[in-house]
Amino acid sequence: MGDSLITIIAIILAAILMFVFPLMSMSDRSDDISQLTVKTATTEFVDNVRTTGRLSMDNYAAFEQEISATGNSYDIEMEVKVLDENPGKKTTQASSTKIGENVYYSMYTSQILDTIAPGDGTTKVLALKEGDMFSTSVRNTNTTLSQQLKNFFYTVAGNDTYTIAAEHGGYVTANGSAN
Amino acid sequence: MMKYQYLAVVFVIIMLPISLVFSAYLGAQLQTLDLQLSYDTKLDNTTYDAIKAFQLNTVNSGTSDFLNSKIRDIEAAANSFFTSLATNFNMSGYNSEILQEYVPALVFTLYDGFYIYSPFENTLDADTISRLPANATYTNGEEVTGLKPYIYYSCRYVRGQIDVTITYSLDNYITIQGTDQNGKAINDAGYLIDDVTYNASSGQVTYRGIEITSETPLEEFVGDKKYQYIKINGQKYYLDESNSAGPRWFYLDNGKMTYLNENQNFRDENNDMAYRYYKEAAEFKNRLSNYGILNLRSSDARSPQGTALTPVTDINGDVIYDFTGGDYKIFDFSDNGGTSNIEEKDSNFNDHRLAVIRYVIETNLSVALANYNNYGTGNFEFRMPKLGEEEWNRILNNVCLISFLQGLSIGGKIYNGYSVINNNKNEEVVTEESIYIVDDVTVPATTNSTYHRVNHKDLTVTANTKGIFNIDLERKSLGSDQRETTLYYFPRRDLGCYTCFVAQTNINGGYDNVYDYLDSISSSANGRALAKVYYTALGRERYSMYKVFRNGEEHTNQFR
Repeated sequence: MGDSLITIIAIILAAILMFVFPLMSMSDRSDDISQLTVKTATTEFVDNVRTTGRLSMDNYAAFEQEISATGNSYDIEMEVKVLDENPGKKTTQASSTKIGENVYYSMYTSQILDTIAPGDGTTKVLALKEGDMFSTSVRNTNTTLSQQLKNFFYTVAGNDTYTIAAEHGGYVTANGSAN
Repeated sequence: MMKYQYLAVVFVIIMLPISLVFSAYLGAQLQTLDLQLSYDTKLDNTTYDAIKAFQLNTVNSGTSDFLNSKIRDIEAAANSFFTSLATNFNMSGYNSEILQEYVPALVFTLYDGFYIYSPFENTLDADTISRLPANATYTNGEEVTGLKPYIYYSCRYVRGQIDVTITYSLDNYITIQGTDQNGKAINDAGYLIDDVTYNASSGQVTYRGIEITSETPLEEFVGDKKYQYIKINGQKYYLDESNSAGPRWFYLDNGKMTYLNENQNFRDENNDMAYRYYKEAAEFKNRLSNYGILNLRSSDARSPQGTALTPVTDINGDVIYDFTGGDYKIFDFSDNGGTSNIEEKDSNFNDHRLAVIRYVIETNLSVALANYNNYGTGNFEFRMPKLGEEEWNRILNNVCLISFLQGLSIGGKIYNGYSVINNNKNEEVVTEESIYIVDDVTVPATTNSTYHRVNHKDLTVTANTKGIFNIDLERKSLGSDQRETTLYYFPRRDLGCYTCFVAQTNINGGYDNVYDYLDSISSSANGRALAKVYYTALGRERYSMYKVFRNGEEHTNQFR
C-alpha cells in the first residue's frame, strides 16, 4: 500500500521533471526568440517612419504582419507628438530650431489608424514634419505557453503581465509628403 | 522501484546544463541585439546632426553653391559628424582621428553628384616631394582622411555617331557633352519638361495649357527692412532705394551687406525667371531633337570603357533595372501631357535617371569601401552592406548623407552598420514639395500673411498670391561692421497655415504628385490660377539656382 503510493508520487515527479521542465525551458526560449524578432521589427518600423517622415498603412501592415509571424498576438501602441508651436492655432515657422517655446500635442494609436485607414477602403499617408516625435511600444496580449506553464506551477502572472515587449521612439528627421 | 526517480534525476542532470547554456547564449544574443539596435539609432542621430549642420551652413551662406565653399560646408558637416559620434557613443574626449578608424566612408549625395569622405593615400609627384620642407605637415604615401573628388551622376551613351556623356541631377536637369548624330561636338544643358510650347513670333510660353508670364518683383526682409530682390545663379541681389548715393543693389557676403557699383545695377523690372525657365526648356527640347539625343535607348548606356552596363539589383539579387534588356527610349516626349509624362515619377526618363544615379553611387562606393580595408586596423574585414529599396528611394530623391560605422565590439560580434538620412530643406535642389503658396505677399510687416501647401483645400488665389521656396522661411543671420552682435531675422514673416502644416486636416490628399493634383483642379478658373502661381514659382526657383554649366558672369549680365 505504502509502496504503491510512493510509486505514484515517483511517477508524477518523474513526469514533471522529464516533460514539464524541458517544456518550460523550451517555451521560455521560444519567447526569447519572439522577443528578438519583435524588438528588431519595432526598431526598424520606428526608424523608417522617423527617417522618411511618412507613416503609411503599408508600413504599418507589414510591421504588424512581421511581429504576428511569431505566433502571438500583440497590442501595438503608437504615439505621434506633433510639434505645435503656437497655441493660438497658427504656426509661425514649422521649425524646431526657432527660439522660443515648443509645444507638442499627441496623436495616439486609434487616431493614427483613423488617419491612415479612414475606413472607406482607402489608405492615406500620415505625413510628419521635422521635429515631431514618433514612438511605438509593443507587448503581447495572448498568454504564451511559457506564461501558461508558469501560471500553472507558480502563479506569478496577473491579468496584464506580458513577457514579450519592445519599444522605440525618437525625433522625425525629415519632412514627409503625403503624396 | 526507485528507478523512475533515478531516471528523472539523470535526465535533469543532463538537461539542466544544456538548458542553462542555451538560455545564457540566447540572453547574450538578446543583449548583442539590444546594443546593435541602440547603435543603429545613435548612428541615425549622429548622421542627422551632420546633415543638419550642412543645412544650416548652406542656408546661411550666400556662396554655398560655389565649389570651394561647398567643400568647406561639407568638411564642417563631416566634423560635426565625428563630434556627435563621440558624444552619442560616450567616447567624448577622443578626437576625430581615432573615430575615423571606425568610419569607412561618409557619402554626401548632392544635386548632380556626390562626395565620398574616406581615407586615402596622399600621393605626391616627384617634383612636389623634392620641394617638401623638412617640417612639412604632410608626406608622400601618408594615409589621410578627407573628401575625394566630386563624382557626377553621369553615364556614357553610344549610338551610331552619337557618343555623349549625360550628367543627371536630382530633378530633370541634364548636361550633355560629346558628339551628336552628325559627329559634331555638343556641350549643352537644360531642363527636360514635357508639354511646354514656345511661340517664337508672339513670345508666348505655355506649360500644361497654362500661359507663363513674368511676375511682379519679389520682396523679402534683410534685417528689419523689406527689399525688392532678384536671385541670379544662386545669389540674391537686393535693391536699396533709400541709399544716399541713389538706388544701389547689394548682396549678402557672409551675412554682411555688400553694395555693388552703380554701373553694376540690375534692371528694376518684373521677374521673368519662370518665363525663361519654360522658354529655355522648350528650346532645349528642340536642340535635343536636332542632336539626335531623343533617339537614345537605355541599351545605349555604356561604362566609360565602352562595355554595356550590368543590371541594377536589389538586396535579394532581383533585377530592379536592366539597361540592356529594358530597351526603350529614355527621352520619351511622345506622351505629351499624358500619364507617362517626363516629369512623372515612373516615366522612362525618371526610371533611367534613378538607375544611372544608383549605378554610379553603388560602383564608386563599393570601390571606396573595398579600399578601406587597405587602411583599416587589419583585424576586421569590412564589407559594404547592401542598401535596401526604401533607403535607395530616399537617396535618389533628396540630398542625403549615408554614413557607415564598423569595428565596434558589441558583445558577440563586431558592429557593422550604416545610416541614410535625407534632408529636404537646402539650397541644393528645388523639389516639387519645397514650393509653398503665400496667400498675399503685399501684406505689410505689421500683420501677417499665411503660407500653405499647394494642396491646401479651397486655396483662393488673388493677384497677390505667390509661390515661395521653403528655404526663404529659414532664419538667417546678418552681421555688420558697425555692430558687434549678429542680428537674426526671418527673410519672410509669413505664418505657416495651421491646418496644412501642423494638423494636416485641410489638405487634398490621394494624388500621386503635384502635377496630377493641379490637373485635377484645372477645370475651375481658381485652379488654373493656382497652377500658374505654382508653376511660376517652381520655374523661377529652379532657374535661379546656381548651375555649374553656366558662365556666371555672362548670365548675370543679362539682367543688368
